Amino acid sequence: MVALVIVSTFVVLLLGILVAGLLRSHADILRSLHELGVGVGDPSAAPAAVPVDLTTPVSAPALGAAPGIAGVTPSGDARAIAVDNSDHLTLLGFLSSGCTGCAAFWDALQEPGRLQLPDPTRVVIVTKGPDREVPSEVRSRTTGRVPVVMSTDAWVDYQVPGSPFFVLVDGATGRKVGQGVASQVEQLAELVRRADHDRSHAGGGGQGRGEESLSGPAREAAADDVLAAAGILPGDPSLYPRTLDDVFPHGRAVPAE
Amino acid sequence: MPTISAHGIVTRLPDGFEGRIFVRPATVGVTYPVGQFATFPIPDDTGDFGSGAVTLMGPSDVFATLFEYGPESLGTALFARQGRPAGFSEADFSPMTLRRGIPGQSGTQWFFTESGRPFSFYAVLGSHALRPVLVPRVNTLLSSLTLSPAVSGLPPTSPAWN
Repeated sequence: MVALVIVSTFVVLLLGILVAGLLRSHADILRSLHELGVGVGDPSAAPAAVPVDLTTPVSAPALGAAPGIAGVTPSGDARAIAVDNSDHLTLLGFLSSGCTGCAAFWDALQEPGRLQLPDPTRVVIVTKGPDREVPSEVRSRTTGRVPVVMSTDAWVDYQVPGSPFFVLVDGATGRKVGQGVASQVEQLAELVRRADHDRSHAGGGGQGRGEESLSGPAREAAADDVLAAAGILPGDPSLYPRTLDDVFPHGRAVPAE
Repeated sequence: MPTISAHGIVTRLPDGFEGRIFVRPATVGVTYPVGQFATFPIPDDTGDFGSGAVTLMGPSDVFATLFEYGPESLGTALFARQGRPAGFSEADFSPMTLRRGIPGQSGTQWFFTESGRPFSFYAVLGSHALRPVLVPRVNTLLSSLTLSPAVSGLPPTSPAWN
């Protein structure tokens, strides 16, 4: 009898451990699904939705070159946008007239100032062409403040999976620096700002077209050139200070009282 | 190198150019097609001859406008030249030929008739000193244009019943 109780207790404990392990594994799976934006259950338990994936050149492999966009406007005029002809960031918003998730973006993207995007950021809205969209529906959503281009080819070129979809392009390099979907306007704006920040710190921002940041031996050589131009050559005593007076030959600044 | 087409004007844009071909909504009278092409982002509120855009140009930029006039201009002395110029030389550009004089820039403007339509072609260089580099870019753009006869004799913005 005693042996039976001991065995039963052991079995119950073992099963309890197994159930606890399964529950933990299930929780991990649910948490991962929530983070991917496809979670189930109570949405309030999920962290702030982060379905946007505006990756940056620092943290992700290059997304490739960004092709130009050519199509027609909702009023039947022709429009071509080059995304590699300035130092600006260009935010391409691929929207549809009939998608419910696009409504907020139609309004917000046509007021870039309200979004507080990095200055200057060019915003362009791209819908499918007149073969897949109703121009009058698109026209009713446009304000004329930002370019709206209807181009099915652009959707194909950028491999747009659905709307709303966003691509951020660095005009100095003509390359995509981020792309993805978004559910909230503020989220998109924040990620654009972050991408701009990363771009600036990676040396890609604020440079002229065709210029590239230096690294490694090229950077060292450039520094040598600057020093040589200032008359500081290899072996110059100023490169090997021994005392603070060597570093501050004209005296040190004394903090004001 | 995208191709855009509207209102009987087609262009295969050279590398680095963007553009638009449009008819401005008429507030009074009739309006005719305008093509604008540039090596920098063209603001949507740019004036027909580049006001609001030429101030944004860098030294290595080019801006050009192809502007169509009304049929009453056909046969006038100003539009007597048949066909667009074959190409421009550096001497064709002058700082004095600017709609709005901006230091360092220069421009050229030509009037002609092609495919039975009266046009002017106006181009601005971001830097007069860079003419050797920029004039060939204007010529490449100019040669990329295809101008077709007007579709009908009716003004483009006139309403019509089927």
